[in-house]
Amino acid sequence: MSEKKKFKGLSDKAVGWLFIGPTVLLLLAINIYPLVYAIKMSFTNFYANKIGRVPEFVGLKNYIKILNKEAIWEKMQVTASFMFWTLLLQAIIGLGLALLLNRKFKGNELLTTLIVLPMMLSPAVVGVFWTYLYNPQVGLFNYVVNFFYDFGSFDMIGSSILAPWSIVIVDTWMWTPFTMLICLAGLRSVPNYLYEAAEVDRASKWQQFIYITLPSVLPFLLLALLFRGIENFKMFDMVVELTSGGPGSATELASINLKREAFEKWKTGYSSAFAVILFVTIFGFGNVYVKVMNKIKER
Amino acid sequence: MILLFVSLFSFSVNSNAKSITLGWAAWDPANALQELTKEFTAETGINVNFEFVPWPNFADRMLNELNNKGKTFDLLIGDSQWIGAGAVYGHYVKLNDFFDKEGISMDDFSPATVYAYSTWPKGSENYYALPAMGDALAWAYRKDWFDRPELKSEFKKKHGYDLGVPANWNQLHDMCSFFQGREIDGQKRYGAAINTERGSEGITMGVTAAMYAWGMEYENPNKPYDMEGYFNSPQAVEAVEFYRKLYEDCAPPGHSDAYMVANLDAYKSGQVAFQMNWYAFWPGVSKEDSNGRVSGFFANPSQNVSAATLGGQGISVVKYSDKQDLALEYIKWFARPDVQQKWWDLGGYSCHLDVLNSPSFPTSTVYAQGFLDSMGIVKDFWQEPTFVELMLPMQEAIHDYVVNGKGTAKGALDKIIEEWVEVFEADGKL
Repeated sequence: MSEKKKFKGLSDKAVGWLFIGPTVLLLLAINIYPLVYAIKMSFTNFYANKIGRVPEFVGLKNYIKILNKEAIWEKMQVTASFMFWTLLLQAIIGLGLALLLNRKFKGNELLTTLIVLPMMLSPAVVGVFWTYLYNPQVGLFNYVVNFFYDFGSFDMIGSSILAPWSIVIVDTWMWTPFTMLICLAGLRSVPNYLYEAAEVDRASKWQQFIYITLPSVLPFLLLALLFRGIENFKMFDMVVELTSGGPGSATELASINLKREAFEKWKTGYSSAFAVILFVTIFGFGNVYVKVMNKIKER
Repeated sequence: MILLFVSLFSFSVNSNAKSITLGWAAWDPANALQELTKEFTAETGINVNFEFVPWPNFADRMLNELNNKGKTFDLLIGDSQWIGAGAVYGHYVKLNDFFDKEGISMDDFSPATVYAYSTWPKGSENYYALPAMGDALAWAYRKDWFDRPELKSEFKKKHGYDLGVPANWNQLHDMCSFFQGREIDGQKRYGAAINTERGSEGITMGVTAAMYAWGMEYENPNKPYDMEGYFNSPQAVEAVEFYRKLYEDCAPPGHSDAYMVANLDAYKSGQVAFQMNWYAFWPGVSKEDSNGRVSGFFANPSQNVSAATLGGQGISVVKYSDKQDLALEYIKWFARPDVQQKWWDLGGYSCHLDVLNSPSFPTSTVYAQGFLDSMGIVKDFWQEPTFVELMLPMQEAIHDYVVNGKGTAKGALDKIIEEWVEVFEADGKL
């Protein structure tokens, strides 16, 4: 007994800490510390490239400046519009494709593989090759559109009206497969007996979709849209390669503007405040969204 | 075993060899410099490693390196606008003592290039770089098309003067629009590939070519940083409006985010009659003339005054390098007149007066005279340490007006001044 006590191992709690300790340390080092440091910087006029200049405490000046700057609100509107249209299109098309691929037919697996290919590509590569596809002289996009209706030569990237749609189209092309895959997982988890019972009750296909399929797949769809929403709020690489935020500032998303302020103009204090505002915005929206999603799940 | 011994031995020899690293942009002149540098290695035994960064990422990559006090580069051929930051933030080694010790005189180099690439504060005798690559924005045109009798007569009939090198921007517009949409040899052609790039500096470098020619000044010569009425003067406004007209009437479709490479591609593929670009590319363009294409070159046309946008770079020793002595040895070698002559022969643009003043220089290439003309009239963007902060608002506002068609030229320039005032205030200049 005494021997047993002598070699008693670590307590459960200690083992638990041993397991999560490295992760917690890593999180503190690469997530929490930079966040706290950025918050601290956001109250200063620090410029990372101005060596030797001591940053001064400026209170809420950076925040006030950002929130009163018309250009920043324009960027936020561009971001909101981009998110709205991409999420809407990805939800509709993604769900539609999932419903299609949930049926059994010849070539189903091959088609699924082909559809998910775009999301496996690098966003920067996608941005670059879509600039070629959109080229009004040699691009395939103009050719395809004009095949159906003769609009003549049009420049998707150079027009302030079309450029926002150009990035929506590319993001939808690239990421709809993601929404589709999540929805497909949801559809495949719906038990067959529900449809059998509905058939017995003489429910139409539409009624089956509204009362069985949609409620079952909705939590999955909302989860996919949450992921896509967070990603698109931070969208950077694909848009930079495709339009550089132009023409003018027609497609300059908040994240692109943040990068320019932080790493081209080196306004570290100002851009930290902007980053904090963006973080609070997405964190706030994310929390509200998750609560709504949970309520839908409970129903 | 023998192989292992040999490879270990060669590794040890290599690791003991003296070497330095030079950073520059990835473009034609960089390849010429690499070729030229073989002679330096042969003479001194110092290996030079090159890191060439594509233009769109060049400033980001290099300035990040400098701001982080990186030791990757011992030598840097940095853009002319970086000289202020290089000097003020202590990224570049001040070269005065070295020049004095080695007998390198800045009087031996073209004054415009010394002023632009080497000095900070501007015009002072504090040197932070040796002029390495003279450059200015200029134009190439399809001389073979211009020489066609039917096109010449049609143009003369329409405009009342000969189709040729444009004497001013109005003529440039006439000629560019003459070719816009014209079918030549069964293909649809366009007027001019001009700078419209949004991300880095493209459209600013393009529009300032017009603004300088219209006589724009950045600031009141008697009151530094006083920009109202200068940068947004009626002449400057007219120039920006003209540049938009040139874009609308003469650019090929889809040319809305184009700079060096896109302009070259549009020209080489036979889409356009004119391209705006840096002298650095002319050796390549000239060499690649084939299938009937004959290129002509000319300096930026005048309008109210003669002026051209400055490009080019000086070579600096990075302060954070552990091999400053080797880097300085390279600069000493590079400053030699015979090396400068070889530099020009290989396709680099020497700034050394022995090369430029040589009687054979103007006729040495078809673009040499244009280069000489341009280097006498160059003007540069702000070279302040805050130049990136000054560049970005201009990029956005000008692109918004010229390409996006939003607002007015005056509104765009006013907006830029507003942003610049903020930058200068934050920097303690105002």
